Amino acid sequence: MLDTSPAEVAGPPTTSLPPQVGALRDCVRTFAQERLRPEVQRLDRADAADFDWDLVAEGHRLGLTRLVISRAHGGLGHGELGVAVALEELAAVDAGFALVFGATMLGQAPLLLSGDPALQARFLPLFSGDEPVLACNAITEELAGCDLLIPENAQYALDVMRARRDGDHYLLDGAKKFITNGRVATYATVFANIEGNPGASALTCFVVPLDSPGVELGAVADKMGYRTCLGTEMTFRGVRVPAENVIGGEGGGVVINVQQMNMARAAVAAISTGVARGALDLARQWCGERIQGGVPLYRHQFTARKLAEMSTKVDAARLLYLRAAHLADTEIPAPAYEPAVAKLFADRIAVEVAEEAMSLMGARGYVRDWGMEKYLREALGARIYEGTPEVLALAITESMYATDDDF
Amino acid sequence: MPAYTSREQAVSVFSQLFEIMLEDDAFRAIVRDEALSVRFVHTEPDFELYVDAEGVRVDGPAAPTTLAIKMSCDTADALWNGRLLMPIAVATGRIRIKGSVARVIEFVPLLRPAFDRYPALAAAAGVPTSA
Repeated sequence: MLDTSPAEVAGPPTTSLPPQVGALRDCVRTFAQERLRPEVQRLDRADAADFDWDLVAEGHRLGLTRLVISRAHGGLGHGELGVAVALEELAAVDAGFALVFGATMLGQAPLLLSGDPALQARFLPLFSGDEPVLACNAITEELAGCDLLIPENAQYALDVMRARRDGDHYLLDGAKKFITNGRVATYATVFANIEGNPGASALTCFVVPLDSPGVELGAVADKMGYRTCLGTEMTFRGVRVPAENVIGGEGGGVVINVQQMNMARAAVAAISTGVARGALDLARQWCGERIQGGVPLYRHQFTARKLAEMSTKVDAARLLYLRAAHLADTEIPAPAYEPAVAKLFADRIAVEVAEEAMSLMGARGYVRDWGMEKYLREALGARIYEGTPEVLALAITESMYATDDDF
Repeated sequence: MPAYTSREQAVSVFSQLFEIMLEDDAFRAIVRDEALSVRFVHTEPDFELYVDAEGVRVDGPAAPTTLAIKMSCDTADALWNGRLLMPIAVATGRIRIKGSVARVIEFVPLLRPAFDRYPALAAAAGVPTSA
């Protein structure tokens, strides 16, 4: 069990972390290396719909399902910084396992952002029981992904899930796609457009228990990576949701979505950093053991240059996500620029480092038993969720041209 | 038309609002026990309120506070009257907060009674209800 005293918010960490965050990192690192690593090959080769509740339960007992929940609601009271360093440790071993918990936190985020004590009291304590409880954040649809994330695009979104007021309830109709944890979550924060408004211009966030009548959980996507977590289709047919389950009021969905994405991007950047670090660790080990020309590979100047570049990229990615997480912990609304920069860079270097690491291992890098090619498959995944490079570029340039009043 | 026509009017209403909040034993106990101090930076008209367990001070000490919350007086009026939802205000940048987000998450629900108190205070000060 982790120490639950609050993490101190100091300046952005560079070479050291606040003590509570450092303790969390050490605890999660031990779990990831000793419990998760031996299971990685099995998890990666399992059927798409398989889910290892036993390992998730172990993560739950560490507190990974309630990192960001306040102590008043039974959580650990960590901020984005704690979340990010924990997810880097998990992703250095298995990015899909990291995303099980990252997606749960994303399902909790609208409730945390709401400031609504009644909603928080109903849903947040669920994560403090003996059995693991997961959540999910249901945004993406067949025809709408980025359009639900970019406010200017919202009116053009096609065929968005509908919400219709019916007395003191809403009726939800529509379908979601690629929803991480959709199959295994207890509740979802679901985004639907109020009927009669174009596109997603009245996008609204609802908390929906997934045992509600009319919720149907569909196929699990057979992904090339992130196989430990389940991306699921979800269909809602006339699902009745009480009006008090609306977060942020009618039409508040796009801004909640933007805000939670700005919070989440530091964490996803940390996952990509972890993937890059995992690949680098394997390459470093290999290049230290493999003898060619009478010396270890790393003694060859060309290989040394590659390893040095890879290590520099991982360090830079980590510093960028630490800065972004620190700002997300100390400013509301969370800034758009720093998390987007961190994610854009980390997602890119994860692919570069994993590809280079594979190359350094030669044929072994291409063989599944050695575990390297999995890092390349997973590096490609983070470029899609929580903002593609194109969406991130828009967020970054918007910030570059924005004016600020130095508050 | 702005909700507040003078600095004095705005200072009076928002000072009273938090003085009333601090008269609540439970609210004051939490503020004291958690060592919370909040600087409300209001603009248009411009003034600052410093709120801690000791009371409410206008343009209070420059010492660092646990939280700093900045919004225009029009935004504050819409917020406390219930016309503007906190998540929307925050997400659109109409309210900006600096300090530990974990502390904000604990603090914001404590402000609920202010939503009940504000409309009468504002009306008594002559603030137009439809501003």
